[in-house]
Amino acid sequence: MANTKIDNRTWWDTLHKNGPFDLKLFLTTKMEKSSSGLSDFERYKDAAIEIQRLIQLALDSNERFRAIGSKWSMSSIAHCKDRMHYNAFLNLKFPIFEGEIHPASSYEHNNLFLFQSGNRIKDISRFLERRGKSLKTTGASNGQTIAGCISTGVHGSTIDSGSVQDYVVGLNMITGPNPEDNIYLERESRPALTDTYAKNFATVIIRDDDMFNAVLVGLGSMGFIHGVVVESENLFLLRRYVKKINKKEALQLANTLDFSTYDPKIPDGNFKGVRPFHYKVFINPYNTNETKYGAEFIYKIKYYDNYKLDFGEPIPFQKEFVYLDLIYLFIKIAEKFSKSIPTIINLLKSSILPKEEKTTVGKLSEIFWDAGYQGKAFACSFGVDHTNASKALELMAKVTRENPVPGIFAMRFVKSSEATLAFSKFPFTCMVEIDGIQWKDNDNLISLTDYSTKLIEVLKNNNIPFTIHWGKNANWKFPGLINHMYGKNVKKWKKIRAKLLSIPMQEVFSNSFLDSTKLSEPLAIDEDLIV
Amino acid sequence: MQLIKITLFLALFLIMTSCYSVRLQVSNGVWDPADNERNDPYAGYNVQTIDTIISRKITTGKHYFNISNCESGALHTVEYRTTFGGLLLNGITLGRKKKVKIKYVCIMENSM
Ligand SMILES: Cc1cc2nc3c(=O)[nH]c(=O)nc-3n(C[C@H](O)[C@H](O)[C@H](O)COP(=O)(O)OP(=O)(O)OC[C@H]3O[C@@H](n4cnc5c(N)ncnc54)[C@H](O)[C@@H]3O)c2cc1C
Repeated sequence: MANTKIDNRTWWDTLHKNGPFDLKLFLTTKMEKSSSGLSDFERYKDAAIEIQRLIQLALDSNERFRAIGSKWSMSSIAHCKDRMHYNAFLNLKFPIFEGEIHPASSYEHNNLFLFQSGNRIKDISRFLERRGKSLKTTGASNGQTIAGCISTGVHGSTIDSGSVQDYVVGLNMITGPNPEDNIYLERESRPALTDTYAKNFATVIIRDDDMFNAVLVGLGSMGFIHGVVVESENLFLLRRYVKKINKKEALQLANTLDFSTYDPKIPDGNFKGVRPFHYKVFINPYNTNETKYGAEFIYKIKYYDNYKLDFGEPIPFQKEFVYLDLIYLFIKIAEKFSKSIPTIINLLKSSILPKEEKTTVGKLSEIFWDAGYQGKAFACSFGVDHTNASKALELMAKVTRENPVPGIFAMRFVKSSEATLAFSKFPFTCMVEIDGIQWKDNDNLISLTDYSTKLIEVLKNNNIPFTIHWGKNANWKFPGLINHMYGKNVKKWKKIRAKLLSIPMQEVFSNSFLDSTKLSEPLAIDEDLIV
Repeated sequence: MQLIKITLFLALFLIMTSCYSVRLQVSNGVWDPADNERNDPYAGYNVQTIDTIISRKITTGKHYFNISNCESGALHTVEYRTTFGGLLLNGITLGRKKKVKIKYVCIMENSM
């Protein structure tokens, strides 16, 4: 039997210490051991029963229950004051075989895999690589869980691949304590698994596009995600190169995403006119005299076994690079100064971004590797239509110069998602993000809430439609914020939530984040009819 | 006199505790996780510590220091740390005893 350790706790915090937050109980479920003689499906089903027991306990105690992944979100989206469930040990993996694919499916069986929700990106990549497969995209590093990624909409800068949730084709949801609350959900328009296969682990099968899209970026509030069916692709290699390019050029590429005449001039490679797999721009908002930005170009190339003989081991190179995730770059710049935070900000005014002109070639998992920084950090990340990229950056950088905070900017680009509440909602979304270290009240800087309020206001006042990364810092209580960002999709999302979860279960799967954003408020009866 | 004594004591303390450590980590394995509140490189890792005095048998010959609590049967990270005090003990006991501190993280079960 799967068993759960229940710890009494008074507080809990995110990886980057964006809390602390109050907490009563911290639950960790471990599955039956592989030596138990049970098959993996039996262990999986046994874990589902245990999760349902825990949900019943929360319900009986009138308390809220929330699954968490690796606690990498910096907003309070993963927090719930009553019962938090640590999913990390739910990491079974299942290949899908030929006869298990739905007859109307266009997916190739050997690209599909069912992953239990606590599997981390690194774990999944390892598993896939051993089968000649790869995820299509990830974030800048690999420690998040698959369920945590899709619940907030994790993205990289893979222009044409979308975000993590965009390669998910099926979900096993636990929406309550009863047998019929164990659901397998997939799109009606793109079915993936046969009923017989899905019945291995779920009681009810639902094929519904609207429901699937709403549940996909579910903010931890659509029930407990127990399994995620992912579409992978054949292994590929990535050739990465970072260089400083003229501001004007970098912004032109950002606004147009037109690389048809652009030549990145990468040593030993001709990528003129080639659309990159990934394009990212790094910006120091404080130094307005610098004429160049850091630009990361990554091109997809065919996989071959001996790439390390030609290009060397990618991991040690990755460790030497400074243009990894944005926070890491900031830390690398700031540690040179090792002074007080106001001094760091002052020094940023005259410092230029470091040079890094080296090529690396590796698999997706080697290029987007382990995160390099574990200390206190903040991150604000706004999505805008890429045609507004330079305008939004200029406005946000100006706010930052007027209200300095210890951080630097980056821009990443993501194809639109079908998920109802995906922040990558524009045809191509440019994520304009600022990452940095936390500061204290006695540093005499603006508070993070006020700073993010100013960012929201400046985009609103300049009529730039925007979204905010659900897992990052913002003034989530800003009046009317969610409706402003998502319009009628908010009602759509709530309506599906009400269909999927009974009223008591909606309460169990809510948290203060959902309350602050008013997403836990049920629709009024008349609104319910209109949607 | 008092100052000299304090300085000597401090110097001795620093020398005895000054240490070096070596960290080995596999680059492509998945670490055993833990929800801990650390903010060092072990944040999120389930770290086990062995703080002990080992005998010559372990450092020579065919003997092993057994680690039996890795369910996966594999190690992800090993940190070996020794102090000047530990080296001194080694010297005084003519190599029979050695003080070591080992931190390790297992590879996560079901991840291989
Ligand atoms: C070092 C670092 C780098 C980052 N890089 C990127 C990046 O490149 N791109 C990007 O987009 N973001 C990035 N982020 C943000 C982070 O990836 C996201 O916030 C992500 O959602 C965190 O995943 P997690 O597994 O830690 O989930 P958590 O933060 O623990 O939880 C996130 C949400 O998922 C829900 N959830 C988790 N598991 C389940 C489940 N089984 N069922 C239901 N709900 C569940 C939680 O309730 C919560 O609402 C980064 C964060 C850090 C700390």
